Amino acid sequence: MQSVLSAQDLAISFGSNHVLKSVSFEVGQPEILGVIGPNGAGKTVLLNILTGILKPNSGTVHFMGRDIANIKITERVRIGLGRTFQIPRSFENMSTYENILVGGVYGDNIKEKEAGRQAVEIAERIGLSSHINTMAGRLGLLDRKRLEIGIALASRPKLLMLDEVAGGLTESEIADIIKIVKDIKAQGISVIWIEHVLQTMIDGTDRVMCLAEGQNVITGLPQEVMQSKIVNDVYLGVDEDE
Amino acid sequence: MKTLLENKTNTVKVGVVIIALALLVTLPNWGTRGMIPIFTLIMIYIAFGQMWNLLSGYTGLVSLGQHAFIGLGGYALAVSSERFGLPLYVGFIMAAIVSFLFALIISVPIFKIKGVYFTICTWVVAHSLGLFLSTLAFVNYAIGINIRATFRLPTSTIYYVALGVAIVSVLAVYLLLRSRFGLGLMAMRDDEDAAEARGVALYKTKLKCFLISSVIMGVAGAAMFMNLGFILPASAFGIDWTISMVIIVIVGGKGTIEGPIIGAVILVMLRQWLFDFPGYSMLILGAIAIILILVAPKGIMGLVHRFTGAEFFSVRRRPKRITEPK
Ligand SMILES: Nc1ncnc2c1ncn2[C@@H]1O[C@H](COP(=O)(O)OP(=O)(O)OP(=O)(O)O)[C@@H](O)[C@H]1O
Ligand SMILES: [Mg+2]
Repeated sequence: MQSVLSAQDLAISFGSNHVLKSVSFEVGQPEILGVIGPNGAGKTVLLNILTGILKPNSGTVHFMGRDIANIKITERVRIGLGRTFQIPRSFENMSTYENILVGGVYGDNIKEKEAGRQAVEIAERIGLSSHINTMAGRLGLLDRKRLEIGIALASRPKLLMLDEVAGGLTESEIADIIKIVKDIKAQGISVIWIEHVLQTMIDGTDRVMCLAEGQNVITGLPQEVMQSKIVNDVYLGVDEDE
Repeated sequence: MKTLLENKTNTVKVGVVIIALALLVTLPNWGTRGMIPIFTLIMIYIAFGQMWNLLSGYTGLVSLGQHAFIGLGGYALAVSSERFGLPLYVGFIMAAIVSFLFALIISVPIFKIKGVYFTICTWVVAHSLGLFLSTLAFVNYAIGINIRATFRLPTSTIYYVALGVAIVSVLAVYLLLRSRFGLGLMAMRDDEDAAEARGVALYKTKLKCFLISSVIMGVAGAAMFMNLGFILPASAFGIDWTISMVIIVIVGGKGTIEGPIIGAVILVMLRQWLFDFPGYSMLILGAIAIILILVAPKGIMGLVHRFTGAEFFSVRRRPKRITEPK
């Protein structure tokens, strides 16, 4: 399997809080890699390292064969690392359309005209066509989560990182999201998908990795990982609040 | 149908702009003598407000030292005219150049400082500039300089310069926001870190805004001192200028083009009405600003927008309508 991203021995701590001690994994091209782990395991921290918001204390990340340690946040988007935010961070005083435009114009360096055409298509794909001129601040949570995906897609990522886009959704909405993500993969885009919702991991991913105690404790086929003793121990060891 | 409606409102807007401009341009012909100086001040304060808004309303860089550029612009005009005998228009060019260079140099250290410390430092820089000029014999220390070339100028000439400065400032912000750069700027206004994560280069965007804001502020400062005819460090580098800008922007509405226009009109008119009680106008404006911050943080324009949805200088981007055969 050819990999689009490979991380080796990533470690990061905040003071005495050693959030990641040694995390290593690869993402295939294309592949949907699910990431699970208890609250506070460091899943979001991991995304922040990959996108350049946080610097790891040690370890390396290769993206399409290239060490990206010295690549700036803004440049990482342009070379194809797209992400969504766990708590949606759309631009509130801008419309759905303008939000997606930002993704294209700044995240992919394309002309506004082309980004505009693309934004209309993307709005359709994420089911926001009817809200295309609505200010993002007036969208509901579900729509804002969709918009997160839309903005990221507009930057034409080669690897899309989703941080809990399905939390709090109904079953049919979850099915919608799974379909959207599978469509994304069908276009040749790899996905890292962080989620607590089991159904998304079982139905929506190719492999699942579990993060716990600062390490990737197990990685494998979704069913295997979900039923493994390790994962059960990890989740039994903490208070479930999902 | 909707397109038609939009076209109609656009036609109305263009009509309003043309009528407003025509009225402003012909003001010296129809206005009373007393109106010209008041409108001169309104125009210059519009420019001050627009430029402070461009910097602080959009990039989140809250500067309380933008009056440094008013002072620099004023002194550039005074020195080129009084010390070098250059025509006044050269003084305006010098104001732009000096402001640009000073902004460029000062940005290096000052952009490394974040948040409230940035705000304090900008004020310190402006204040220090005033103190420094007070020690220079070349500019007659703290006593100041008469800009004699302005004495003979008709008030209408000064008014036209002020009008020009105001138009340039509004147009600059409008065109900037409509450009590719403006898209990133608006994203930054809403959420700086998220904008960066999506590819907006923060440093470059902030620097560009700081430079544009400073240059036009410097030119507007030159216009202000051309109007006053006299400059001394204490008035040129006084924080009152910046306090006025902040009030204009807060009262009118931060992050909008209309806001500083409305704010400038209110500020100048109120000061005019309370001319005999100079301290009171600032007190009342300050109180209005504080009340607005509490009840309507987006200022008067924010209220107008909330209740009517109206936006005069719209920089909204809308998808091109796809004409699909049904
Ligand atoms: N910038 C930061 N500075 C200090 N500590 C941080 C920072 N970011 C995260 N942490 C800490 O790192 C730990 C992991 O946080 P993270 O948000 O990655 O968890 P998570 O696995 O995403 O959890 P959840 O499922 O609740 O989203 C937490 O203890 C958090 O407090
Ligand atoms: Mg998280």
